Amino acid sequence: MKTTIRALTAAAALVALLQALPAAADDAVYNNDFRVGLYSVFYHTSGDDLQGPYVPAGVNFKADNLETLYVGYVRSLPANLQVEVALGYPPLSKVEGKGLATVGSVPYNGQVVSSARWLSPTVLLEYVFLSPDSKLRPFIGVGVNYTSFYDRTQTAAGDAASGGPTRLSLSSSVGPAGTVGATYKFTPRWHLNMSYSITRVNSHVETDTAGVIRTTEIKFGPQALVVSGGYSF
Amino acid sequence: MRKSPRSLGYIGTLSVILSAALLAACGGDSSTTSTVSNSTTPGTLAVDPPFRIASLSASALTSELSASATGAQLLEVTGTPTCGVDFYYIKFWTQGGSKETTESSGALMVPTGGASCTGARPIVLYAHGTNANQALNIADITDTTNTEGILVAAMFAAQGYIVVAPNYAGYDISTLGYHPFLNASQQSGEMMDILTAARTALPGTLSSATTDSGKLFITGYSEGGHVAMATERAMLAAKATVTAAAPMSGPYALEAFGDAIFYGDVDIGSTEFAPLLVNSYQHAYSNVYSAPTDVFSATYAATAVTQLPSTTPIDTLFEEGLLPELALFDSTAPVVDIPGEAALSAGLTAALAVPTVNPANPETAIFALGFGSPYLVTNDFRVSYAVDAATNPDGAVPTPTAGVPLAAKAPTQGLRLDLYTNDMRTGWAPTVPTLLCGGDADPTVFFSVNTETMEAYWSTQVAEGLVTVLDVGATPTSTAGFAPIQVAFLTSQAELLAYYQTAAGGGLSLAAATAAVVENYHSNVAPFCALAARSFFDTVLLGS
Repeated sequence: MKTTIRALTAAAALVALLQALPAAADDAVYNNDFRVGLYSVFYHTSGDDLQGPYVPAGVNFKADNLETLYVGYVRSLPANLQVEVALGYPPLSKVEGKGLATVGSVPYNGQVVSSARWLSPTVLLEYVFLSPDSKLRPFIGVGVNYTSFYDRTQTAAGDAASGGPTRLSLSSSVGPAGTVGATYKFTPRWHLNMSYSITRVNSHVETDTAGVIRTTEIKFGPQALVVSGGYSF
Repeated sequence: MRKSPRSLGYIGTLSVILSAALLAACGGDSSTTSTVSNSTTPGTLAVDPPFRIASLSASALTSELSASATGAQLLEVTGTPTCGVDFYYIKFWTQGGSKETTESSGALMVPTGGASCTGARPIVLYAHGTNANQALNIADITDTTNTEGILVAAMFAAQGYIVVAPNYAGYDISTLGYHPFLNASQQSGEMMDILTAARTALPGTLSSATTDSGKLFITGYSEGGHVAMATERAMLAAKATVTAAAPMSGPYALEAFGDAIFYGDVDIGSTEFAPLLVNSYQHAYSNVYSAPTDVFSATYAATAVTQLPSTTPIDTLFEEGLLPELALFDSTAPVVDIPGEAALSAGLTAALAVPTVNPANPETAIFALGFGSPYLVTNDFRVSYAVDAATNPDGAVPTPTAGVPLAAKAPTQGLRLDLYTNDMRTGWAPTVPTLLCGGDADPTVFFSVNTETMEAYWSTQVAEGLVTVLDVGATPTSTAGFAPIQVAFLTSQAELLAYYQTAAGGGLSLAAATAAVVENYHSNVAPFCALAARSFFDTVLLGS
C-alpha cells in the first residue's frame, strides 16, 4: 500500500510537471521514446526449503519489496507495435529468512539474512491500441527478461544462521515477461506512462559456509508497477 | 512519419546509462566464506573460521535433551545446562600412524551466554571411545547417534568448559584409509594438533566473547582414555601446560591387557577392536603380519583388516558374516607342541584352553563367549603371541608382580611388541593432578588389568594425592568425595536391571536382563566417570 501511494504520488508529480510545460507546436511523429520513472517491485517469492548439511526442515527465504529508478527506451514499429527495453537501476534487494523462528537458538524468521543487487533488463514487444494521434493509448506486451545478481552480501544475521561467513551465489535467470499499460500524451514529445509487468525470475541459490554447501531453487516472480515520464524524439 | 535526426544521439545517451549499469554489475561479490589454508603442517587450522553446526542456548539445549528419555537421564547425571553451546566443526592437519600427512576433523564446543559462561574459560581436551562408524562427527550435535558428543556437550561445554575433541584420523573427512587405533604417538600428536587448531580458530568464531583461559584439562573414555593418558604424557614431556587430566576406562597397560585376552580372558568388543588394532599397527610398524591370513582365519582374512571403521553399521557387518560378533578365538583350542619345551608347551596348552564357565565367577561366562567357530584370530597367531608372553612375561599378567614392571626384555612377537610400545607403563608418571576413573566390573576394558595396574605402577613414583583412582562400581564407604557418584552409578545399574525386565525394556528374564546390564556396563560407566572428571576439574580449578 505504501509503495502504491508513492507510485501514485510520483505519477501526480510527473503529470504536474508535464502539464506545466509549454504546449508544443510540434505535430511530427516520433519513433523513439526515452522514459524515466519509478519502478515499484513487488516480489512474490516462493522457493524450496534450503537443502544441505545441518539445515533443519523449514528454512526458506523471501525478498523485500523495493522501489528503484526506471529507465526505458521504446522504439515504435509499424502496425502499432513497439519494442521496449526496460531497465531499472540495479536495486539492492534484501532477503529475509522465512520459516523457522530460530535456527538452533539463532533468530531466523524475519531477519534480513542477505542482500543482492539485480541487473534485470527486459525486452518487450508491445502492441499499442488506438491511433498514434490518440492522447491515451493502452498497450500490452510480451518479452523476455534477463536477470543477473551481483554485490551479493550475507548479513551478520545471515552468517549467524548459516554458521559462519558465507559466500552466496545466485544463478542468472532468463524468463518470460508480460506487461499491460497505457501512455497518456500531453504533447507530441511529452507523455506519461503507467504499466504493470510480470516477470518470472528463477535462480539456483548456493551458499558456501566454510565449505558446507547448501542449495535451493527460488522463484522471485517480481511484479512491477512503473510510472514514468517519457520524451519522444 | 519522419525520423528524428537526433535519435541516434539519444540512443547513444541511453547506451551510456546502460553501460553504467552494466559496469555496476561488475562491482563484484562482497560475500565471502572461510579461508582454506595452503599449509598442511600438523596443527594447522584447515578452514578458518570453522563452520558452526549449531548454536543452542542453555534453555534450548535443556529442551532438546529433555525431549528424549535417554537425554533426560543424561541431564540427571550432568545437571541442567547453565551455558549455551556453540558447536564448531574443526578441520585441521595432522599426521597418520606412519607420519602420513592427513586432514582430520573434530569439535570445538564453545560455552555461550552470561558472564559465567563467556570470557576466559578453561579447555577440556577430550578423546572419544572406539567407534565403528567411519562417518562419526563428534561435533554434529544434530546427530542423535552422536551420544559421546552429546555427553561431553552436556557434561562440560554446557557447564562452562570449552571442549576440543578430534574425530580421529581415519574418520569423517580423513582420507588416511585406516585409523591409528591405540597408537600413542599418533593419537597424542593428533590431540595436540587439534588443540593448536582450535586455539587458532576460537578468536575468529562467532563466539569470540569466549576466550581460552590457558587452563587445560585432558580426558577421554575407553580408547580415548588411552589417548588422554598418552596426551598427558606427551604434553608434559613437551613442557606444555596441563592443568589436570582424567583418563577414563582406558586400556593403559596394553601389553598386560593383550596378554590377558590372548590367555583367554576375551573382552566384550574384542572382534571390533582386533581388526582396528592389527590394521593400525601394521601401518605404523609393518610387523604384525606378512599376509592377513597370518592373523585372521580364512573366513575373515580377506575383509577383516580394512573393515573398520566403516560406513556400514557394525551390526550389519556381523549379520552379513563379514565379522564375527563374539568369537575372537577358535573354540577348538590349540595344543601347543614346542620341540624341546615340553613344560612350556603343556603350560601354554592349559593356559590357552577355552575358559570353563564358573557360575561363581560371572566373568568366565563373558570370556567363554569369545570362543566359537567361525572365529576371527587363528590358533597359530594366538600361540605365537602366547609363546612370547610366556617367554617375556608381563609384570601384571597372568600374575601381578610387585612394582608391576613391563616385560623384562622387549617382546619379539610383532603385535605384542607393538602393544608394549604403546603401553603407558613407560617410565613416566603424572606431575599434575590425575584422576583414573572406571568401573571394576568392566567386561570391555578390564579395570584391574589397566587402571589398577597403572595405580600400582605409579604408587612409588608420584607424590601422595597426585593420582586419584575412582571405581564408580565400588560401594562407597563414606559420603565424602566421589561417593555420591558411586551411589548414583549403582542406583542406575539397579534401575537398568529392573527396566530390562519391564515391557518397555524388552521384558527380559532376570538372567537375560543381568546379561544386558553386563553387556552395556562399559558404556554405562561413561557418564558417571565424566561427571567425576568434571567434579575433579572443578576442584582443581578452585584450587589453582
